[in-house]
Amino acid sequence: MPIEIPKDKWPGSIKKVTLGATSAEGGTRAKSVTVGGETTLPYLHFEAPTPNKPVIAIEIKSHRPDDWSPLLGEVWGDAMNDPAQWAKKAEEAGADIIVLALTLADSPEDAVRIVKSVLAATGLPLIVWGPGQAEKDNDLLVPIAEATKGEKLMLGICEDKNYRTIVATAMANGHVIQARTPMDVNLAKQLNILITDMGLPADRIMMDPTTGALGYGIEYGYSVMERLRLAALQGDSMTQLPMIVTPGFEAWKAKESKVGDGVPEAWGDWKFRAIHWETLTAVALVESGADIIVLRHPESVKRVKETIEELIAV
Amino acid sequence: MQHTVSFTHEEKQSSVSVPTGTMLSDAAHLAGVEIGQPCGGQGRCGRCAVLVTDGNVRRRSTLRLSPADVEQGYALACQTVVEGDVLINVPPQEKIERRLTTDRVVAEVTIPADYDFDQHQSIHRVYLELTPPTMEDQTDDWARLQTALRTQANIPEVTCSLHFLQTLGKTLRDGEWQVTLVVDRDMEFPEKPVRLIEVFPGRVDDYSPLWGCAIDIGTTTVSLWLVDLVSGHVRAQVAEYNGQIARGEDVISRIIYSGKAGGEQEMRQLVLDTINELVETACKRVNAKPEDVMKATISGNSTMMHLLLGIPAGSIRLSPFITAVNHPPVMLAKEVGINIHHGGAVDCLPGVASYVGADITAGVLSSGLEHAEHVSLFIDVGTNGEMVLGNRDWLVTCACSAGPAFEGAGVVNGMRATQGAIEEVWINGETFEPTYRVIGGGKPKGICGSGLISLLAEAFLTGVIDKAGNVNLMAGNSRVREGAHGGEYVLAWGAESESGEDIVLTRVDIDNLLRAKAAIYAGFSILADTVGVPLEMADRVLVGGSFGKYINVEKAVQIGLLPDMEWSRFEFLGNTSVKGAYAALLDWRMRDRITEIAKRMTYIELSADNSFYDAFTSALFLPHTDMNKFPSVAAALER
Amino acid sequence: MALSGIQIYKLLPQTNCKECGFPTCLAFAMKLAAKQVELGSCPYVSDASKKQLAESAAPPIRLITLKAGSEVKAGNEVVMFRHEKTFYNKPGLFVRVKASDPELAAKVAKADAYKVNYVGMDFTIDGFAVEADGGDFVRAVKAVRDTTKRPLILIADDAPLLDSALSLLAGESALIYAAESSSYEPLADLAKKHKSALVLKADSFDAFADLTQKVQAKGVEDMVLDLGGKNLGEWLTRSTQARRLAIKANQRAVGYPTIFFAGQNGPEKEAVYAAQAIAKYAGFVVLDTFTPELAYALLVLRENIYTDPQKPIQVQPGIYEINSPNADSPVLVTTNFSITYFSVANEVEGSGLPAWLVVTDAEGMSVLTAWAAGKFDAERIAKAIKGFDVASKVNKKRIVLPGHVAVLSGELEEELAGWEIRVGPREAVDIPAFMKQALN
Repeated sequence: MPIEIPKDKWPGSIKKVTLGATSAEGGTRAKSVTVGGETTLPYLHFEAPTPNKPVIAIEIKSHRPDDWSPLLGEVWGDAMNDPAQWAKKAEEAGADIIVLALTLADSPEDAVRIVKSVLAATGLPLIVWGPGQAEKDNDLLVPIAEATKGEKLMLGICEDKNYRTIVATAMANGHVIQARTPMDVNLAKQLNILITDMGLPADRIMMDPTTGALGYGIEYGYSVMERLRLAALQGDSMTQLPMIVTPGFEAWKAKESKVGDGVPEAWGDWKFRAIHWETLTAVALVESGADIIVLRHPESVKRVKETIEELIAV
Repeated sequence: MQHTVSFTHEEKQSSVSVPTGTMLSDAAHLAGVEIGQPCGGQGRCGRCAVLVTDGNVRRRSTLRLSPADVEQGYALACQTVVEGDVLINVPPQEKIERRLTTDRVVAEVTIPADYDFDQHQSIHRVYLELTPPTMEDQTDDWARLQTALRTQANIPEVTCSLHFLQTLGKTLRDGEWQVTLVVDRDMEFPEKPVRLIEVFPGRVDDYSPLWGCAIDIGTTTVSLWLVDLVSGHVRAQVAEYNGQIARGEDVISRIIYSGKAGGEQEMRQLVLDTINELVETACKRVNAKPEDVMKATISGNSTMMHLLLGIPAGSIRLSPFITAVNHPPVMLAKEVGINIHHGGAVDCLPGVASYVGADITAGVLSSGLEHAEHVSLFIDVGTNGEMVLGNRDWLVTCACSAGPAFEGAGVVNGMRATQGAIEEVWINGETFEPTYRVIGGGKPKGICGSGLISLLAEAFLTGVIDKAGNVNLMAGNSRVREGAHGGEYVLAWGAESESGEDIVLTRVDIDNLLRAKAAIYAGFSILADTVGVPLEMADRVLVGGSFGKYINVEKAVQIGLLPDMEWSRFEFLGNTSVKGAYAALLDWRMRDRITEIAKRMTYIELSADNSFYDAFTSALFLPHTDMNKFPSVAAALER
Repeated sequence: MALSGIQIYKLLPQTNCKECGFPTCLAFAMKLAAKQVELGSCPYVSDASKKQLAESAAPPIRLITLKAGSEVKAGNEVVMFRHEKTFYNKPGLFVRVKASDPELAAKVAKADAYKVNYVGMDFTIDGFAVEADGGDFVRAVKAVRDTTKRPLILIADDAPLLDSALSLLAGESALIYAAESSSYEPLADLAKKHKSALVLKADSFDAFADLTQKVQAKGVEDMVLDLGGKNLGEWLTRSTQARRLAIKANQRAVGYPTIFFAGQNGPEKEAVYAAQAIAKYAGFVVLDTFTPELAYALLVLRENIYTDPQKPIQVQPGIYEINSPNADSPVLVTTNFSITYFSVANEVEGSGLPAWLVVTDAEGMSVLTAWAAGKFDAERIAKAIKGFDVASKVNKKRIVLPGHVAVLSGELEEELAGWEIRVGPREAVDIPAFMKQALN
């Protein structure tokens, strides 16, 4: 009995976003990374190929974090004391992109110096996150954007209450924006509208829909991403942006990953559990359309990369 | 090529020579004629309309002008270019404003065309001539009256109150055995016993008034219409704040208060006091006495109805949101505590659910939605927004909490639409300088609901705020600044205002307004989704509630409060609740129809799933996250 | 094609008799459209309408129930994406054991006893798959059955052997693995005889459609498909296609749940393989490895994916630490509606000031809605403050209420003797200023 397999043909597609600029492109990166460009739902090769495979970013901090899980301290060791060293180790661990998260303690001068040291230490494209407070973010990101003009960094994190300054400096200095909204399709779309209304082209924006971790709301993030991707394919231009997700940050916040003592026996071995937590959080997001996946543990990086390879292998 | 443009303004003449393609507003400026352009020359406000009495011009945009206006020669000075020698008449500003405000249509009260007192009214007069008693005929007064009723009025069975019997004997003798009765009978089931309310000596003129009243108990305002049941005329319209306000502004606070010791009794007395005062005021206006009023038909939301009747209302607010009674039976005024004739009938109209009460069923009746062939949307905007979607085949309804922002409450410089309230605003897109109109024309005291809608729409279209409502502090303009609640916009400097303080729109105000409009928009979009009928299919949008009287459709659409449709599809009905009560008071068939409406309406509980929340966040943007739903606003932004 | 509420309404009597338990025929029609009631509740619906409605109501994927001491269901799904409605039947997690394994009983006992609690719910493994690999299969099945009461999957291709094993499982519904087109008949007969479900294997949907019809002709209705696939990408494609054929093309011949073996490419990949199967439509997932940390992660993922997305988005009630608070930091109170929580938490986080945020169980409602509905009152707040033992975390017994519920402060003082009740701002944006000015 012949069965015809239904295929979806979508009117819309995802925009391509490129991070990092090589010397030929006006920067100093060894290579740039392009994500996006999908014309159908994730990895449905019988409908369309995946034009740019999702990439892994590893998150490092400007100063050794004192609230990270000891398991992470074990693998990164002394490199955590020096962002440049850390970035190098991250590249060795398989990162396609480095995420440098700044802290409240950084002065604008320090921040610029650290960013430059990381750019010098690795040829990978760089994403820089402010410490997450509107004023401080603006104080740090503006001088960084100016000092790295042409490098095509991604600057984060833009939110609906604080986007103008960062967008303006990204526009002026040729950078890309990470637009974060709290787990809601409408809010994600709204922030994209606000940012493009300022005049930043949509191919210089990535959406960060906020996802939650396994056991901590990942179902919301998962569905929000599916809905955003569906809306984009249906032709809604304000959702046609690639997505960056932060399962490393989310999963290592969870008690399941973070701590080994004082937890139920049924949770099993700490280290394996922590890796499962980060990996499964990441894989669920990969399945729902993530384009850049920001992780923390090298073992998770390895597993998620293998997963992506298998998904794109035709 | 040069052309001569001649202006006539306030009986003065001036002219100027300009090249082809010069904007009329620029020509006027060169000629020394100042034409107000509150919107900064973007063709949005229509304030610069002028009359082209002769010559060739080209109108780039005629937004704000009707085809009839254009036919007469009107043109917007900021959107019209000179293409030959022209004569221009610049009308006085007030005249223009009168033209522009005609897009608000309020339905007037009209007596139903086919109203027939004998056929449709349940309260009647019956004149009887009794045979006086004699030694041979020692029949008692009551039996004598019953005989007369049977033989002269064809009323075989009656009931009456003790009070009636107490006064009967004296009245019969005072009237020398000729009396006029006021009776209440069931018009639908004439075989039911007729209730005798009052007896008057002698013959009362058939055409003298017989009084009834229609009452709408609003959460904020109680309205009462005193009606002559014989002619159907509304003889007095009075309104007063609901005395319960002192115990809470919204229904939830009042339910909670009424649940405290003595609270139920206190709330009941407060609203009774308000109603009784209104009855008295209205009666005074027509030289009548409260006891002359024989019937009261009452509409109001379910909570108000419970509190009036002293019925515990606690279950209304608690899941699963159940009322004690949706359709109370007809009661006696004495029992209810309303000071009309103590034997007068009090008819409380039926509601549907905890948050869709008699005010909505009565509103649906007066909107005519329930017998229309095509789908219509009825919206009643108050502190709660209630909506009904449907036609003669089906009706669905829901309610959402909009909050009091559109009534001027919960907004820093908000106020009711009274003297001193800014009711309309225009903002110049270049300079952010506002122009506003104040009710009464004096110094502004604050901003009323329609002013807030207007201000929000202008602030958004001119970029004072972004689509999320963030004030554009990077604009480097003194009108926008960092305030105590985040960014704010200064609408009037202290020097211009009544109080001497700046009148501002703050970030928190904007959030409140956005939430209110989003709740309402989400409410009716969910209704439409639930039944699978696209909103655009609604033939008419009927807007009720006193708020609906003053609203500017264009601005309400621009902020995404009302759906984007041709303006001709909107109708503003005013207080539909009291109108419905009035119709039911007069005509038993209308009263029946309200019962039918209540039975037919299907209530959709918005809190039952996530779809309301989704629709709400989607609407929490200017005008809406999905711009495809607002093509006219998209076009306005393009300009 | 599913009918809308209005379309169904037109097929109903429209008398609003209320006998179905709903206030109007339209209300009932909308419940029918949402598949939340049975048409049978309407005593007056005409036969013609019944027929029309039945056609639109039949589930596109057959419901399969495996039964022993407990039950596992698969199928009856109606959507491609969970947000469109919900995913209904969580894929059963089965652990595979080999008949020849000397540790078999011990392994089964360990996995069978496994129980883990996640936000108040206890999760366990759903069943076991016993594979004939040269050992004594029947004895192995017996040993497993003596150790666990959970449903079984029997993996073997020798019909007589399966017959004996199935005879041990009288009264149960097991799952037989697996019939191929070349050899389906004996297994189909067995499935019929033992009231078992039967897994089918084929390499194309054409072949599956042929095979399901043949098996059906043998009197077996309960089938499960093994779609094969050599890696994640292939299985994703096949699983998506199967779901689409059933739901979008209404292709009943392949409208059956699927089974997936997560350990097929080694234990390293097992977690990821199982995770994809859970997210992407599998009906049954078979693991080769049982470890508590793997089971816990997968059970939580399954719970998350299969949570009803129509329920309000909630955060876990509890006490949240923002900006590393200490004993002198203030205590703020709000509800567990996620957006309410996010806006409060973001403002506090953005202020840079440390605070304890107590999130009460308001059934996922915002502050005002919860207050209106009686889910955020003095009693509930007091319960949360006591329940989360806030007193042990701070020196100063003081809590800050949202400004919208200022009215609760009096009652709350009575409920929480010894606590100072402060009324905070009505809007989250005003929290940083309030914390700076009023709380110092």
